[in-house]
Amino acid sequence: MVSAGCFVAGIAGGYRRPRTWLALTVTGATAALGASLWVLFGSADWEWLSDITVGGERLHLRLDALSALFLALLCVVGATGALYAHEYWSDRHYPRSAPRGRAWWSSLILCMGLVLTLSNGLHFLIAWELFTLSAYFLITLENKRPAVRAAGWLYLAASHVGTLVLFAFFAALASHNGNWDLGPAMREQAGLAPLFWLALFGFGVKAGVFPLHVWLPSAHANAPSHVSAMLSGVALKMGVYGIMRFSGWLPVPPSAGWVVIGLGALGALLGIAFAFAQNDFKRLLAYCSVENIGIILIGVGGALLAVTQGDAPWGRLALAGALLHVWNHGAFKSLLFFSAGSVLHATGTREMSRLGGLWRAMPWTAGLFALGALAVSGLPPLNGFVSEWLVYLGLLGSITGKAPAAWAAIPAVILLALAGALALASFAKAGAMIFLGAPRTQTAARAHEGGRWMIGPMIGLAAVCAVIGLVPALVWPALARAAGCWHPAWASAESPAPLATLGLVHVALALAVAGAAAGLWWKSRINGVRRGLTWDCGYATPTARMQYTGGSFADIGVGWFSWILQPERSLRRLRGALPAGAFHQERIPETVLERVITPVGEGVIRVSSAVRRLQHGRLQAYILYVVAGIAALGGLVLFGGKP
Amino acid sequence: MNTVLDLIFRLAWWLILAPLLPGIINKVKAWVAGRRGPPVLQLYYDLARLWRKSVVMSTLASPGFIIGPAVAWVALLGAVILVPLGPAGAALSFWGDVLLMLYLLALARFCTAWAAMETGSAFEGMGSAREVSYAVLAEAAMVAAMLSLCVQTGSISLATMLAPSAGAGAVLLAAGLFTVLLAENCRVPFDDPNTHLELTMIHEAMILDHSGPPLAVILHGASMKLLLFSVLLTEAVLPMGDLSPFAATGVLLGGVLTVTVGVGLVESLLARFAFRRVPLLLTTAVLLCLFALLVAWKGGAA
Repeated sequence: MVSAGCFVAGIAGGYRRPRTWLALTVTGATAALGASLWVLFGSADWEWLSDITVGGERLHLRLDALSALFLALLCVVGATGALYAHEYWSDRHYPRSAPRGRAWWSSLILCMGLVLTLSNGLHFLIAWELFTLSAYFLITLENKRPAVRAAGWLYLAASHVGTLVLFAFFAALASHNGNWDLGPAMREQAGLAPLFWLALFGFGVKAGVFPLHVWLPSAHANAPSHVSAMLSGVALKMGVYGIMRFSGWLPVPPSAGWVVIGLGALGALLGIAFAFAQNDFKRLLAYCSVENIGIILIGVGGALLAVTQGDAPWGRLALAGALLHVWNHGAFKSLLFFSAGSVLHATGTREMSRLGGLWRAMPWTAGLFALGALAVSGLPPLNGFVSEWLVYLGLLGSITGKAPAAWAAIPAVILLALAGALALASFAKAGAMIFLGAPRTQTAARAHEGGRWMIGPMIGLAAVCAVIGLVPALVWPALARAAGCWHPAWASAESPAPLATLGLVHVALALAVAGAAAGLWWKSRINGVRRGLTWDCGYATPTARMQYTGGSFADIGVGWFSWILQPERSLRRLRGALPAGAFHQERIPETVLERVITPVGEGVIRVSSAVRRLQHGRLQAYILYVVAGIAALGGLVLFGGKP
Repeated sequence: MNTVLDLIFRLAWWLILAPLLPGIINKVKAWVAGRRGPPVLQLYYDLARLWRKSVVMSTLASPGFIIGPAVAWVALLGAVILVPLGPAGAALSFWGDVLLMLYLLALARFCTAWAAMETGSAFEGMGSAREVSYAVLAEAAMVAAMLSLCVQTGSISLATMLAPSAGAGAVLLAAGLFTVLLAENCRVPFDDPNTHLELTMIHEAMILDHSGPPLAVILHGASMKLLLFSVLLTEAVLPMGDLSPFAATGVLLGGVLTVTVGVGLVESLLARFAFRRVPLLLTTAVLLCLFALLVAWKGGAA
């Protein structure tokens, strides 16, 4: 309650007073974080049925472990994002949009918090719509730029397609139940199972599940970076929350697990393939979110399969992995978007081929980006590895047990490994192109480090990544509670995975890494370090333009995936003794949007405009339509068969 | 006390024995070509010399240039500690350690590629791009191979997975893993460590600018990785768990020696493939491992 009050006050009062707003937001987030941790690590759920009615329905809030898990993430990203925006989107730089940004930020957190806690279908839909709109206004803060407006429209249109399906979902649910109440009681009604497909589509659009992700890259790339972090870290998770919530509360069709794990595996591989090919670093991060949502869905799909195949215990590991990945992805992706924001702030460009060598000007950002890159590639000893490991353990459990689910688990494991290796390649590329080597342009050479308001939140998120990685046993009770909330048979507290051992290994590894790095540094210093030019086959004056670019780095991988990436290249080679010039351009289109949805949309418009010719406002023609219609009806009555 | 002795023995095996393997490979190559070749202990001499030398660093490089190889070396050391050593078993074994081993190898790859990109050289860029791209296919083959062992033994802990033989699919698995070994350790036909043309290198292109102790650490790490793959291949294929400790030790040593000589013979008899054919060969390795997985699945059911 305290937190809700703070956010309402934040919307009203924070418009003109940034410091008050910041204090209110952080207080509200801390209060809500405390509440959700209390639910996660305590034992009781929190429930509140008020007498206030909205739209004829009583307001009913419920915070169980599953909602609390998502709410905790929302609070962490919401608070760190607010701190980050204090400098990144300050009144001094953006006098017009910064106050609006603060109000919408509070409203976004409040609406997402309501989505997570409301247990009434009607109110859920209202909060969902308000959350979508708040996010739209945050994406379009810089509404002077056409690209931002286009991205905002695409987001709004796609979201509303999803919301439309959700309307159908909740309306069908309410008409079946006779009321709008949501809760675990719905689990017993087998007739509700087909509604799962509506929920999967509606929430899938928001989560950015692979073929429905069309809005995601441009919205994430064009929004201000703290908003991108919130979108990617938390808003996508609202879709995941919807899928998890209603697959837990409703009965699911038997094929649900197969479809979800298939969508997850496909999204993981293709999402990261698109990410590898990108040259815009925020788009790269956005596509990487598609991959991570895929990983989460693989875990959820595994859990669904386990439930339909007789409550197999390995499903619990897969689900715990998916739940932990929700947290982990929120933490490291926000960290990466914040560092991307600092780079954008310092250089004004999102093109990796215009950057390079930024580590010198921005050592903190470079180091924190490297840590985030290790975490997102799922490398030990950080948090990304822990959640991927749990998902793997779940899938391998079905394989060693030779369950029928293994037919989905084997391809999923192999695709997950492929996606992991590609994620590593993508982040090696991104880190190297942005931070290493020589600056490729003048703007990159004049970059500057962000201030403490920008670095502080990043350090906080990096600490979250490190702590979950080094002490994974710490979060297990929370995961077990949330898993028990999803499927009551899985509520037991002890962990089937050796998380404590893994934690010890990770700590040992971290210490050894620190020791070895310090030792080698010290030994090199003792032996003497001399600086020299990079060795380029004896070439005496290497220039920054001779470096490998992102496009050349990704060329091999793009070649393998050209069937879906469909890169557009235009090339003019050097010709003749006195060549006039050469160029090479490459663009990776948004395949699903540009090759599927746009042509279909254009087709619809063409058909509609052909039909519109009938509708031209001439009275005579309308009378002709009426006469022809009556004649046809008459013909039907005269010559048609008896009813 | 026993644990400490065990750990010391293990570290000795991995740290001290590893640089022997490249020496053996070079000796085999020299023998096939009718040359005398460098001494078997050449890498030890090289490492000792490099450890005493000073470092030349690119003007563009950040501290990551030196930290990267250190982290990669620790990651490889962590991976080898998890691998059981025949009769001695693994120093540390838990449910799912096979994944930790695979991801530690990935960590080493990330850090090597990162350190290479520090220099801003196009050669290093080429090397890293090839390394991380081909590793995608090699990783798929590795995971398929490990899955076939999981299905075979019903376990996902390396110590149990590697104890029995790979069953009917052993030949397929051996062929697949040997191909992965060649690719991951940058041997012919994927890469030629002895070439003088930077454009055609993978691993060597990544470490062109390294010198002194960091280079020593990289070379030592690479030899540990080669030893890891040979041990893994031997133990995956042969029924180590059924032998007496003495015989198992002999079989392990013999197996590692056979694999090493095999690498040497392949290097002598084959030329490096053109890069466009590398993915084909790696895909073949993936398919071999997948067939081994299928055989293991069917074999267990019967």
